[in-house]
Amino acid sequence: MNRLILTLAMTATMAALFLPNRAAAQVPPPAKRAKHVRIVEAPQVEMSTDHLTIIRWTTNNPGGSDEHYGVVQYGTDPKDLNKTAKSPIRLNQGHAHTTFRVRVDELEPQTTYYYRVATEESGGRRDPLKSPISKFITPGPGERIPASPQRGRGVQPIARQ
Amino acid sequence: MKVLLQTCAVVAVPLLLVSCSGANAADPASPPTYNPYPSGILPADVESETARVQSEVQSIFQQALAEANALPPATVTGQPPTQQGSGYQSIATLGKLMNFDVNMSALKNMACASCHMPYAGFGGPIPSVNLTMIAYPGTYHFRAGKRTPPRYTYSPFFPALAYDDTAAAFFGGNFWDGRSTGYLLQSPDAEQAQHPPLDSQEMGLPDSACIAWRLSQSQYVAIFERVWGAGSLTGINFPSNTEQICSTPAGAASFGTSVTPVNLSPTDRNRANVIFDHWGQSISAFEKSKQVSAFTSKFDAYLENQYTMTSDELAGYNLFKGKGNCNSCHLDGRGTTLTPGQTDNSTAAQANPLFTCFGYTNEGLPLNPRDAFYYQTTPDALGFTPNPDGFGYRDLALGTFLRSGYGSAPNPNAEWIPLAPKSDGRFQVATARNAAMAPSQCPTTEAPGPYFQKGFFHNGYIKSLKQLVHFYNTRDVFPFAVTSGHCPAGTTEKVDCWPMPEVRNNLDMTTGKLGLTDQEENQIVAFLQTLTDGYTTPYPNIDSFTGQCTTGGTASTQGNETLIPTPPLPPCSSNVCAIAPFPNPAIP
Repeated sequence: MNRLILTLAMTATMAALFLPNRAAAQVPPPAKRAKHVRIVEAPQVEMSTDHLTIIRWTTNNPGGSDEHYGVVQYGTDPKDLNKTAKSPIRLNQGHAHTTFRVRVDELEPQTTYYYRVATEESGGRRDPLKSPISKFITPGPGERIPASPQRGRGVQPIARQ
Repeated sequence: MKVLLQTCAVVAVPLLLVSCSGANAADPASPPTYNPYPSGILPADVESETARVQSEVQSIFQQALAEANALPPATVTGQPPTQQGSGYQSIATLGKLMNFDVNMSALKNMACASCHMPYAGFGGPIPSVNLTMIAYPGTYHFRAGKRTPPRYTYSPFFPALAYDDTAAAFFGGNFWDGRSTGYLLQSPDAEQAQHPPLDSQEMGLPDSACIAWRLSQSQYVAIFERVWGAGSLTGINFPSNTEQICSTPAGAASFGTSVTPVNLSPTDRNRANVIFDHWGQSISAFEKSKQVSAFTSKFDAYLENQYTMTSDELAGYNLFKGKGNCNSCHLDGRGTTLTPGQTDNSTAAQANPLFTCFGYTNEGLPLNPRDAFYYQTTPDALGFTPNPDGFGYRDLALGTFLRSGYGSAPNPNAEWIPLAPKSDGRFQVATARNAAMAPSQCPTTEAPGPYFQKGFFHNGYIKSLKQLVHFYNTRDVFPFAVTSGHCPAGTTEKVDCWPMPEVRNNLDMTTGKLGLTDQEENQIVAFLQTLTDGYTTPYPNIDSFTGQCTTGGTASTQGNETLIPTPPLPPCSSNVCAIAPFPNPAIP
């Protein structure tokens, strides 16, 4: 009798272990697009070496596709921003704000670059964001501007577009 | 019109399983050991540790046999026919037998589980391998793969790989590079289980028909046919040299370019293919059961108000979904970002959040020069060279797969090929669940321990969860244009020096400079540890580890004693980087 109970208990335990679980795989839908996208922290140099600069800025959450791109259009002539750098980020649908960070590679040392920023969805749709043109100067060969930006101390805009 | 269900059959299948140990046919002769590695690349204990794991695997295989013998009689009824009452249990038990069966490798010395043991969250079970060569030795010692074994807890919950036009991104699939799409079986996990047995550097069977052959010789033919139907495993007219072929590791020069060296009639080939699909589906059923994907963590208990997080765990959770922004990819399915005074009263979006977005991202891991793959540049005794490109190989992950490229698998959707440049360097976002799982006797991944050494990310460069969080936090705070092993004097690699990414393209910038303090990093680690199964119910076989724990040191520099200088890197091989559509920008 005891053996029967033990066998039944073992069977029930093993059956429970082999039952499937309840979670379902779901790809979350994209968030609703924001009507207005505005910069709440101005673009600034987060870190810079003689060949690499990271530009960061914060906007309200633009919504749309979770995968977004920060876009930096840049060049050495403020009237001809002829290069583009893009870096992917993922929006957090629960966050009110989104920080975009873009790596701008293959820069020349000790050179002044002008740039403006934009954001776009993964499929290429631009968010309605207006950005001023700002500038940064790359350090000399082997030098580095450390990654220590202070909140609200962004590079000053030089023009409004 | 009323549809009447008819009982079509009541079948009680006597399993007649034999509870015995060892292979069921003569063990094939091993070819001479392949050792192209410089001194120090193979861990000194690789042979004893491989034997240790094999012993553990065989012990759990015996356990599975006992469970199979204890199955209640099968009752197949209804239309479509269904094994009433015990169907789930039967197929998962069959999958468990397959998963722990060492006979499913060419040389009968390696099971799926040999790289995926329960106590490691079904990830890599050998601490010294995780610490050094990161890719596991295959059936032919010591060929090895190129990446860490992904944990397969919760892998059955990933959807089939798809490009979502709305999100303009890939979701789903299995493997680090997504090459197990699930396009055919509509289960990437089931298809994933079909890859390692045929991988030349893993289980090494040279033909998928070898799975049907070895299953037909196994100790669990009866349970296979209980699940998949009488006669489903027998009746194939295998040629007399089948075992000889299946005992020759894949890639052998003697096979030439043939991928079907077992000579079968078209009818028998189709039957073997069906069995091969059942192999994958059965293993996936096991992986989806509570024996593997248990949902028994502290966090699961917390969701049901059965566990109160410690102050550090709760702080870590708030950082995870707030300042750390971890849940932008590792979705917790809940509300987020509380401001002071607010209370989280959101309901879970999913009953059991999986802590992944099923997506792909390039986090910018440095090339790990300890990866055994780089050294396999000479032919083994069978004339196979695992990696002719040596250090010219670059791991473009999803991008290479979309190109049907070197070291990956054929892409079954030509529409995806143009998306390869946008996908270069992107690896699958793993679930954060069970990242911290470790054996009972060394129940942490973090020094000073006693701890169980794991390797994190696709190339195992990161050796602790503390380092993992620190990497996300400071990758762009301490970037250096050097390769691993060459951090400048006065800096410490992984602490205040991060070598450059192996692949710069598509580098994800969600993280890299989070502004977390040291204490906040530790709190996120504490939260990650709440995602380990086994809190509400003991995790099956968590105690099956028979190896040694490690003690000493600190989590921040864990494993740094094994860093080696990356040699000068040759340009990216044309096998990888010169396949259209080309990476943009070009990869050096």
